[in-house]
Parts: sequence; structure tokens; C-alpha cells
Amino acid sequence: MEEYPEELRTPPVSLVSLVGCPELHAAISKHLHSEQPPINTLALPDFSKVSLFSRTPKGDDPSPAHVVPGILKRDWLLKHRTRVPSVLAALFSSDQLSGDPAQWLQVCSLLDQIKAVLRSRNIKFLLVVVVPHGDDIGEDRMLALRKRAELDSKYVVILKPDEPSELKQSLSRLGSALAELANTYYRDEGKRVKLRIEKKTSSSSSIELHIRYCFKVAVYAEFRRDWAEALRFYEDAYHTLREMVGTSKRLPAIQRLVEIKTVAEQLHFKISTLLLHGGKVGEAVTWFRQHNGSYRRLVGTPEAVFLHWEWMSRQFLVFGELLDKSSAAITNISSLALGTADKPLSEWESRPAYYYQLAAHYLKEKRACLELALSMSETGNEMDNGAESVVPSAYVGQFARLLEQGDEFAMQSLTDEEYIRFAVVEGKRFQDSYEIIALLKKSYESYSNLKVQRMGSFCGFQIGKEYYMAGEFNNAKQLFDDIASLYRREGWVTLLWEVLGYLRECARKYGTVKELIEYSLEMAALPVSSGTDTQMKYRENGPAGPASLARREEIHKDVFGLVIGESGLSSVERNDDLKITLDNPLHLEIDLVSPLRLVLLASVAFHEQKIKPSAPTLITLSLLSQLPLTVEIDRLEVQFNQSNCNFIIMNAQRPPLAATADDKQGHRVETSSSLTLSTNKWLRLTYDVKSDQSGKLECTSVIAKMGPYFTICCRAESPASMEDLPLFKFEDRVETSPTKDPALAFTGQKATQIEEPDPQVDLNLGASGPALVGERFIVPVTVSSVGHAVYSGELKINLVDVRGGSLFSPRETEAYSLDSHHVELVGISVPEGKDETQLDTDEINKIQKSFGLFSVPFLKCGESWSCKLEIKWHRPKPVMLYVSLGYSPYSFESTAQKVNVHKSLQIEGKTAIVISHRFLLPFRQDPLLLSRIKAVADSDLPASLPRNETCILLVSAKNSAEVPLKLLGMTLQEDNEDTGRPCSVRHEGEDLLEPALLVPGEEFKKVFTVISEDDSSKLTIGTACVTWTRDSGSKAASVLTKQTLPDVNVESPPLVVSLDCPPYAILGDPFTYLVKIRNQTQLLQELQACTTCLRRPTDAQIYRDSSKILSWVSTLNCCIYYIHISLEASLQGG
Amino acid sequence: MIVCVAVVGHQNNPLYIQSFTEADDALKLHHIVHCSLDVVDERVNNPKKYGPTLNEPFLGLLYPTENYKVYGYLTNTKVKFIVVTTGLDVRDADVRNFFRRFHAAYVDAVSNPFHVPGKKITSRTFAERVSTIVKSFGLSSAG
Repeated sequence: MEEYPEELRTPPVSLVSLVGCPELHAAISKHLHSEQPPINTLALPDFSKVSLFSRTPKGDDPSPAHVVPGILKRDWLLKHRTRVPSVLAALFSSDQLSGDPAQWLQVCSLLDQIKAVLRSRNIKFLLVVVVPHGDDIGEDRMLALRKRAELDSKYVVILKPDEPSELKQSLSRLGSALAELANTYYRDEGKRVKLRIEKKTSSSSSIELHIRYCFKVAVYAEFRRDWAEALRFYEDAYHTLREMVGTSKRLPAIQRLVEIKTVAEQLHFKISTLLLHGGKVGEAVTWFRQHNGSYRRLVGTPEAVFLHWEWMSRQFLVFGELLDKSSAAITNISSLALGTADKPLSEWESRPAYYYQLAAHYLKEKRACLELALSMSETGNEMDNGAESVVPSAYVGQFARLLEQGDEFAMQSLTDEEYIRFAVVEGKRFQDSYEIIALLKKSYESYSNLKVQRMGSFCGFQIGKEYYMAGEFNNAKQLFDDIASLYRREGWVTLLWEVLGYLRECARKYGTVKELIEYSLEMAALPVSSGTDTQMKYRENGPAGPASLARREEIHKDVFGLVIGESGLSSVERNDDLKITLDNPLHLEIDLVSPLRLVLLASVAFHEQKIKPSAPTLITLSLLSQLPLTVEIDRLEVQFNQSNCNFIIMNAQRPPLAATADDKQGHRVETSSSLTLSTNKWLRLTYDVKSDQSGKLECTSVIAKMGPYFTICCRAESPASMEDLPLFKFEDRVETSPTKDPALAFTGQKATQIEEPDPQVDLNLGASGPALVGERFIVPVTVSSVGHAVYSGELKINLVDVRGGSLFSPRETEAYSLDSHHVELVGISVPEGKDETQLDTDEINKIQKSFGLFSVPFLKCGESWSCKLEIKWHRPKPVMLYVSLGYSPYSFESTAQKVNVHKSLQIEGKTAIVISHRFLLPFRQDPLLLSRIKAVADSDLPASLPRNETCILLVSAKNSAEVPLKLLGMTLQEDNEDTGRPCSVRHEGEDLLEPALLVPGEEFKKVFTVISEDDSSKLTIGTACVTWTRDSGSKAASVLTKQTLPDVNVESPPLVVSLDCPPYAILGDPFTYLVKIRNQTQLLQELQACTTCLRRPTDAQIYRDSSKILSWVSTLNCCIYYIHISLEASLQGG
Repeated sequence: MIVCVAVVGHQNNPLYIQSFTEADDALKLHHIVHCSLDVVDERVNNPKKYGPTLNEPFLGLLYPTENYKVYGYLTNTKVKFIVVTTGLDVRDADVRNFFRRFHAAYVDAVSNPFHVPGKKITSRTFAERVSTIVKSFGLSSAG
């Protein structure tokens, strides 16, 4: 776009001219320029210069017979933008006007002159009278002036430069008057030319003039900012121009086409600018498409083709730049109504990058054609001479030879041959390559920003090609590498092939042998199938050559020739041969993501997933190559993570290489009859491996050696988790598995687990019987060596709930550190006399609630050591005790291999003592407890005791264990010792003097008397504490079992009944049964009593007096009844 | 005139690509087909912008480049068909019709029990059928 003249690129701005009072010109220009729309000023220093505007006398109106020499005059637009004003403003100061008559006369003659000049061009006229401060001008003088100038009063502006406010006002008045006049001028001019168009069309005159007039009308419309009209006329001109192609005979054919295209380019540029300016991106794009469509095929004569491509390229570039600049393009793309139904537009056509890319494409075409044109013309020097004097002529798109004839210059038209010579010379001056790269880079960056990677890659590929041709291999390589990764990922083999071809050549030119080999190998292994597009031929045959099997084989041979050292490739840049020698060996690494997996793939499978140490196991090594020809491997080296397992497989058919025979000494060397890799065929090798070291044995890599100085290190892969070969996974081919055994192919792993050696140490857990809750249960652990010495032994103790849960209740997990474990490991004790080993501070000795770590001292072979674990149960619960001993059988070193022995034991935890209690009322005394009467059914209610009565508490401890226990004592403890007990608890009788032996199931009882003394309704009895021990020798520590007795209710009984009767009765002898009822209430109570026989209700009446007793018992009185009973049979009275 | 047809798989990998030109610009056509996948991606990822066109498999003109026009078609199984045409007057209806027939041929080819889904289509019958469809492009509706 920059190559277009300024006046074409920017929208036209009205031009006015100032003359007279030059000191004010700057201020007025500044003001006019800041107007909206701006007005440019052409300031004339004095009145004499006005004559510049007068029309140069020439045949303005050519007769129809006269041939029009061109379409658009080159300088017409510039003239109207910079030299021909629309309005002339003449400034006169007031003293010039109101001075003496001589001055006035001068003014009048000036006015006449000006008017005469302006009339020839229809330039509008305006008068400015400058009135200094304090001065004034007479009304009549003004009138005279107006008349003389033949002006309307509004076009005579008074300017008072000394008063800022007045000045501003009058300037704006001046501005609007000028704008109005300018508008009128451009409209009148437009109308004038339009009339001519109409006249011309009727008289079917030359098309050139029609186009020219349309162009002029459009430009005048643009001056007036009438964009719609401008667009209409530009389009009219454009379409008329298109019709000219093929009809015009004015110029020689090539130049004719060049002129038409140049004019079309200008018109198109104006149209596109106007459309984009109006925000009509869609229309602009459609327009461009039409423009492209109608001129794309106008290639012209073969020798001038490059001019066409250059022109095409410029069209795309300029439109791209226009789109780029138009901010509307960016914002409106999303809401763009893309084209019409039958000619839909693609969104890419509104992106500048698309145009840059195509501009680059056409520029490449141009370069190719230009090169052809250059090569065809052998007389290069001769041309240069002729081309020197060719210059652009007066018409747009035309060139002429400038002839010097003394002081005069004359234009001589050119023949087509001369023109082509000139154009070729011109074309040679430009570095198209850099231009192409710049264009592609623009579009590459734009695509990258839009994350359009494939189009971006294509641009990158083209840039890379340009760099490659320009010899900038480093730049090219970077681009190609990026692109290659995309093509690899998406499996576009043909494209990848091409890119790799360039990369390979870059490496060759740069002299990096490793990359050269890598790219060559990858190319040779590409799945260039014979399926589609086999007969692909390339016009621009890249260095890769045609993608075919034959070419792959050729590359393969090339590489292996180089690798084996048979041939050296000469590098262009450094001039030294690319060779692989002893000093310059080559080592390739192929990992899991390398593209070279196609070249060599190593799959390794152990036949067993778990083996014993020192026991041999089979390992299958499978190699696959996609190279087109068979490859002979000299030597394979299989590497493991345990380096002493590494082994080497030699090819029996190759003589052992002297240089390599001794470098890996100490490793096992196997020999294979053949190490030949055929295309897509697994080479399977099975060997046995053994390792003494337990742990993981993993095959890490396989190193293949081909030729004396070339190795490929291939990372080993497990068949089970092997990825498909990239690129080949899309190929329709038979899948083969790396191992013959299909199961191994699915599950085979490159690693195996080597078990530890069998332990030769016994671990014994000598616990007997169930544990009792509360006691410290002892589990003796014995470690006895029966073959291994024990170095740095370590006991690990774990307590695990049998049911899988944790050893503490879930609610208590928060308070982990509290005494919340139901079963806990309390301690580990070592037998007396061996304490010194334990005191060693370096020894590990950690005990937690359910986990313990304890170190075992060094034991010689045959020795034994024991310790005791103390475990305490808080709840009856079965527990699994795991004890494991880890030791190293040979040395104290921490790295030494450890052997582990595990033992486990389930231990039941049981409750030893069950404590129960019971309340008894005093003998034959029955207080009436109301709560008992009310809720007879609910037995869960706490026991009720009468207040101030003596009750008896019976606490019993039952042995529920399976072993006899010795009971050492039983007490009732107060829970709250501070406040004292609200009742008195006394134990009748002595404490135990000797431990009581309780056999399983036996019960021990103790009696306490309880008298509630407090008024509260609740009574806290306390905690029953039973001290006991196992009846198994004297050593066992005593255990205290506690149980809190539930609270009891205390009530005041309203009545207390006491019974008194003799302990026995004599048959036939009546006895007295005394019933004493005590009323403890404040009120009189009615009593009803009856006696019934408890045992024989059907017997004859035994009571002499069985009538109802009804009486009143007064407050706090006792009522005493004496009942005389005589027993008639041998019965006891109840 | 159709110069290139392609079937592109889920990973944007070519499953079948065949050019039908006398000129030796097959590689360029491969590039064009590959680039057109960007346009397909954009259309598929911004269904709102392109509105109703996505309800049908025919994606329409993807982009014009140089002398070519690239059209796209997306099957229900998200396999893409790309066709590159040249010549000025290519009617949408013709392209639609072509894709319909091409789709039928593709379905028959992948229904072959020996064809592994996701692999390249190497069937010779398919190739022949495609070339017949390509040759008859534009004739049926024009005539």
C-alpha cells in the first residue's frame, strides 16, 4: 500500500487558498485544519501569484476523432489536492479599503484581476476584511466592496485579529463560509463532469474518457464526503474499465493490459477503502473476490506473466493491509453476514493473514516467471542500457522513454519489447525472497495468534523453504522442526516426508551428522504406502524427492553406507566430509516419544513376574524396524537396572570387532546365529537371566551396534503397555505381537520382581490363652537363629483389629493420643541382664499405641534372643498381633539386603470380673415407695431407696474368665471425694485378710449398708473397685477392675410397715403377728388392711379374725394390730 | 472440476487422500486439505456463529485459495470429507450431491468386515468408485 501515492491513500481534503495579509495566514490555516471536516490551505504570499490558478491554454475538449492517449492523468488528483483550490479567500485590511481613492482603485483592479482568473476555473471567491482594534469601516464602503466583488454579504467576512473573542467568532464564520463554498465548488465541478459523461455516452465516445470522468466525479464526491456517490462512480469506472479489456487497441498489447490493470488497481483500492471505511467488511470481501475473479485470468502474453503475478500479489497484499487497518474488520467478523446464499463467503476471507499468504504465493509465482524471463533473455547487459531512460509517463500505468533534445525533454512511447526489458530490469532490483518471507511471517504470526496451527504450519513451511533457498539453514531448520512435529502428530505422512527432506538437507548443509542420520532414518522408516497417490509427482520437487518405496530404499542405503563407514557425505557449508569415525562416533537415543521408534523398537518381556533370587528366568527381547531394507546388527547389549545382569548378544555371522571385544568385559556374552531385522518383522530373542539381588529387576535399554562406530540406544518397552507406533497406527496392516506367546504380548512386563532369600531365623510368639481386660498381657517373642546370623535386626510389632477396624472407636479418633485404644501395646521388656543392648542410644526403640519398633541385638548363628511384649486390653476384643523381623544375614551395612520373617497371632481379649450389685431393704420393714407403685412395668428405672432408712447394698464380683482368679479386695470408692457422700456407706465386717480364690463362674459378694442422709432425690453410691490377679504363681501384678454403680433415687415413704412375728409357730398354738404401720405424712391416712393366705388360698379359713380393718391413722402415730392366728393344719402362716 | 478428495479421521489424520490432476501439484493439494481442517475445527467449535449449517453434515465452502475452492462435510461419526475443486463455476448443489454419493461410498467401504475402523482406507473398490463419482461431478445436475 505504501507504494501508492499519498493523495490516493488518504481521503481527499478540500483545498482553499489565501491571499493578502500574510501575517494572518498561519492562524487561519491552523484553524481551518482543525475544523471538522478539515480544510487544507494554500497560502499565497501576494496577489500576483493568483495568476497561477489560471487555466493553461490547451485543447481541453478533444475532438472525438482525437485519440485519447490514456485513461487517468497521473497528476490530476495531486493537482486538485495541492494546487487547485476550491475557494480563494482574499484578505484586505480596512485601511486599504477606507484609505485614499488611489488605494481603493488598486483594490478594485486587484478584485477584477482575481475574478478574471477564478472565473476560468470556477473557483469560488471570498473576501475577508481585516479590521484592526479600534478601527472601523464604513457601511457604504463595505457595500461598494461587495458590489465590486459581486459577492453575497455572507461571503464578505470581517476579521478582527486583535480581539480574541471576536477573532474566534469571525474565524469560525470564515471556516463555515469556506466549507460551504468549497462544497459548492466540488458539487459544481462534479455536475459539470457528469454532464460531460451524459454527453459522451450519447455520442459513444471513447471509453477512456468515460472512465476518466467517472473517476473525477467520484473524487469530487469524495471531496464533498458523499461516499455513496463516490462509490457509485468508482464502481461505474471500474466496470467500464473491465469492458475495455479486449476492445481497446490504443497501446501495444502488453502495455495496454498493464495500464488497464494499474487503473483497475487504483479504482479497486478506492472502492475497497470506501467499503471498509463504511464498515461493510462483507461487501468489501465480496468485492475483492469479484475483482480477483475478473482479473486473475488476464495473465497476458507469456513474456509478461511475471507482471501479472506481481500485480496479483499486490492486490492481495493491499487488501490484506486494508483489512488489517480497518478496525471494523476485527470487531465485525463475528457478526458478519457472510456472503449470499449461492456465493457464501468463508470466514477466512475476512482475515488479513489469508491475503498475506496468497500475496506471498503470487509473489512466488512472479519470481518463478521472472527467473524464467531472465534466463530466456541472454543479452542481459544490453537491456540495462535501454531501460535506463524509461520513466512513468503522464498517464497512470503508462511508461515512456525520456528523450533529451537539448534543453527540452520529450516522451517517446515504447514498444512492448522495450517495455518488457524495462520491466525485467526493474523486477531484478527487488529481493522477492525477503518480501515473500515478510509476507508469510505476517500471516504465520497472525495464524499463530489465532491458534490456527495448520494454516500457520503451511506458512511456516513456505517460510522455511524460502530460508532454505536463501541458504539460511538454521532459520529454516527451526521452522521445519516445529512443523514436522504437527505432521507427525496428525499422521500426514506425505507432508512430513517433504519437511523431513528439507530438514535432512539442512543438516547435511550444516554438517551435523547426527541430525542427518536421524532425519534420514526417520524418512526411510516412514509409512509411505503404495496405497494412495503413489504416482505423486512434484512440480517443486523438494530435496526429499518423491515419496515412494524406492526413494526410501535409496535413503536407507545412503544412511547405512555412511554409518558403516563405506561412504562419506560431503557437507557443503564446511567443506569437510561427514563421516563417522573412531574420533567421531555416533550414538542415537530412542525414547518412548522419539519419532525414531519407527526405526527401532525394543520390547522386552520377562516370562515370569516373580522369581526367586539366583533362579534363572527367561526374557524375550523383540526388536522391530520399519526400515525398508533388512538391517544387520553386529551386537546387541541388553541393560538392566542391576548392571551385573547386563549381557551382550553377538552376531555369529560377523567377526567379533577387536575394538569392542574387551570394553565390556565381565558381562555375559551370548551369541546369536542371526541378528537381522527385516521390515515390520519382529526379531525375537529369548535368553535367561538371573539375579542374586532381591527387588525389582528391570530392563532399561537395548543398545544395538551397527558398524564400528554407530550405536542406537533404544529404551526398552513392556509389551503390555506399549504404545502403537506413531504414523503406522493409521496404516491398514497386519498387527503382529512382539512375542509368540499372545498372553505374554498382552501382559509381558519389562520388569520382574525378585523375591528375598528364605529366612533362616525362627520367630516365636509364645502367648497362651486369652488375655483378660485390664491386665498387662505378656507375649513372649523369641528370635532364634537357625542358619543366619542376625545383623541389624529389627522387630516390627503391629496390632490390628481382627475385623479390620481400627483399635480405637471411631468417635474417639480425634483424641488419638488419649487413652482411647481398646487394645494397646504398653511396652516391650527385655530379660534381665541384657539391658545394655537396649541402652544403646543408636538402637531404634519406638512404641506407639498399636505399633512398635524394636531393635534386635546381633545374634550369631545358633543364638537366640527373646523379649516380652506387654499388651493391655481396655475392652474385650479379639486382636491380631503381627510381628515381623527384618534383618540382614551378612553385614551391618544399611544397604545390605534385608530378609524378613513374619509371624502373626490372634489373641482374644476377655472380661475377667463381672461386677453386679443389688439393694435390699431392712428385714421385715417395708417402706411404701410411691414410684414403685406407679411404674411397675418399667424395670429400667433406677432403684429407689427410702430416705433415712438403712438399706443393704450387695456387691458381687463374678469370675467370668476361664482361669481361676485371686480376689485381693473389694471396696466402694466415693466418686467425688471433695463434697463427701450424701449418704453413709458402711461395710459390716472386716476386709479380706487373705485373697479369695475364685474358680471360673464363682461369685464373691460383699455387703454394705447404705443410709441416705441427704434431702436430694438422687443418691450417688460410688464405684465398686475389685482388685484381683491371676491365680498363676506369685509374679502376676494385681489388676484393679472398676465399675461405677448407678445412681439411685431417694424417696420419703409415706408409710412404713414393720412386721414382727416369731421365727416359728407351733401347730395349734396361736401366735401373734405384729403389724406396725407408721404414718410419716402430715395428714391423716385411711388404712385398709387384709390378710390373705399366701400358700393355700383354697384351704379352710385359718384366720379367726379376717374382717376388714378400717381405721384412721393419725399423723406420726403408729397403729398397731395384733393378729392372732391359730394354725389348724401343719401350715405356716404368711 | 474436482482435483482432490480426502477422508480425514478423528485425530485429523488422513484416512484416504487422492488427487485427480494432470498437473503435478499433489503435495500442494495435500497442504490445502490439511489447512482446511483448521476451518472445519473452527466451524465445529463455534457452532453458534455458523448457525444452521451445522445441523447438516455439509459444511459448505471452507475457504478459497489460489485457483481452488475447498468444501467440507462432517459425518455423524465426526469423520471429515474434504474436496478441493477448481474452475470458476462450482455450484453448491453439485458439491452437496457429490458429498452424498461420496458418503455412501465411504459407508460401504468401512462396512467391509475386514476394514479396521480408524485405519486408512485401502480398498481398491472404494478408490474406483470415488474416481467414478469424481468424474461425474457436475454432470448429473447440469445435464
